[in-house]
Amino acid sequence: MIEGVWLWIAFALLGATTLITRGSFIVIGERGRLPAVVQRALRYAPAAALSALVVPDLLLVQGSVDPVNPKLIAGLVVIAVALRWRNPWLPFILGMGALWTARFAGLA
Amino acid sequence: MALNPAFREGAQAGLRAFIPLSVGFIPWAIVTGIAMRAIGMDAIESMGMSVLVFAATAQFGALPLIASGAPLWLIFVTGMVLNLRFVIFSAAIAPALHEQSLARRLVSGFLLTDAAFAVLGPGLAGARDPVWRWGYYLVPSLYGWLLWQGFVLVGVLGAGFFPRDWSLEFMGTIALMVMVVPMVRSQPMLVAALTGGLGAVFLRDLPLRLGLFAAILLGIAAGFAAEHWRRKETTE
Repeated sequence: MIEGVWLWIAFALLGATTLITRGSFIVIGERGRLPAVVQRALRYAPAAALSALVVPDLLLVQGSVDPVNPKLIAGLVVIAVALRWRNPWLPFILGMGALWTARFAGLA
Repeated sequence: MALNPAFREGAQAGLRAFIPLSVGFIPWAIVTGIAMRAIGMDAIESMGMSVLVFAATAQFGALPLIASGAPLWLIFVTGMVLNLRFVIFSAAIAPALHEQSLARRLVSGFLLTDAAFAVLGPGLAGARDPVWRWGYYLVPSLYGWLLWQGFVLVGVLGAGFFPRDWSLEFMGTIALMVMVVPMVRSQPMLVAALTGGLGAVFLRDLPLRLGLFAAILLGIAAGFAAEHWRRKETTE
């Protein structure tokens, strides 16, 4: 393992990657204004990014696609709940409940 | 210091939007704390990493490299790649913050997270008052930072006490889903989300998780293309 002062240098370098990427356009500011077409295209960034983080977690089990697994079932429950009700806690309660139930039912 | 009323109104609106979903990240913070201890870092090193890096994906990606004594340049490159999606978010959110000073923009950049971008981005784009926007962005982001560090500390100190087979980290995925569902109200948004999601599945074997970045770009392109087709159909 990396230790001592080198470990802290590694943290500083990783912190720099956080600041460089997230800060990029915010810090450059006016001069970094993107063309209007690109700004319009970027409206799709949140949906594309969140979905790119979520879907692999729902479909993959140990690296390969598994179309019937507890996480996918729980995910479908979460989507149905979020579409139907505005309550912020319900997706967490029913989603985790569905995950544990599916596991208990032997789908793991 | 008396708070500017526009700043306070912005802050309140931002917190109202942000707080319910922020709960989903508590398990992630705890798991991140546990993971750092698990590779052999002590409590101070773990909190130091959490405060300096403040990026769960990059932290998780760097841990095996740190554990195996990988060269520093590789750790840096891995961090850059895992954080690459934030360049897109930064570009999208920059117009809402461009009136602020350099110091404030640096702080805003460091505090930009997936959740802050997804939840606060739409409200920022629609607001005209720069002071209101600053409150709407800064206060929930600071709250998110504090909440994150607090529960990383819980994980760091409690490593070993938390049951791992409960899969509590799935609450992070639930939070992301709750954010994406209300976004998908139009056909192009659905196309963008489906392309991004399935793209990430099919491109998962690209090195250094570059597939995630490629999938986001594909999703944006697909959504934009769908928007164009639909406009053509309605005008013709």
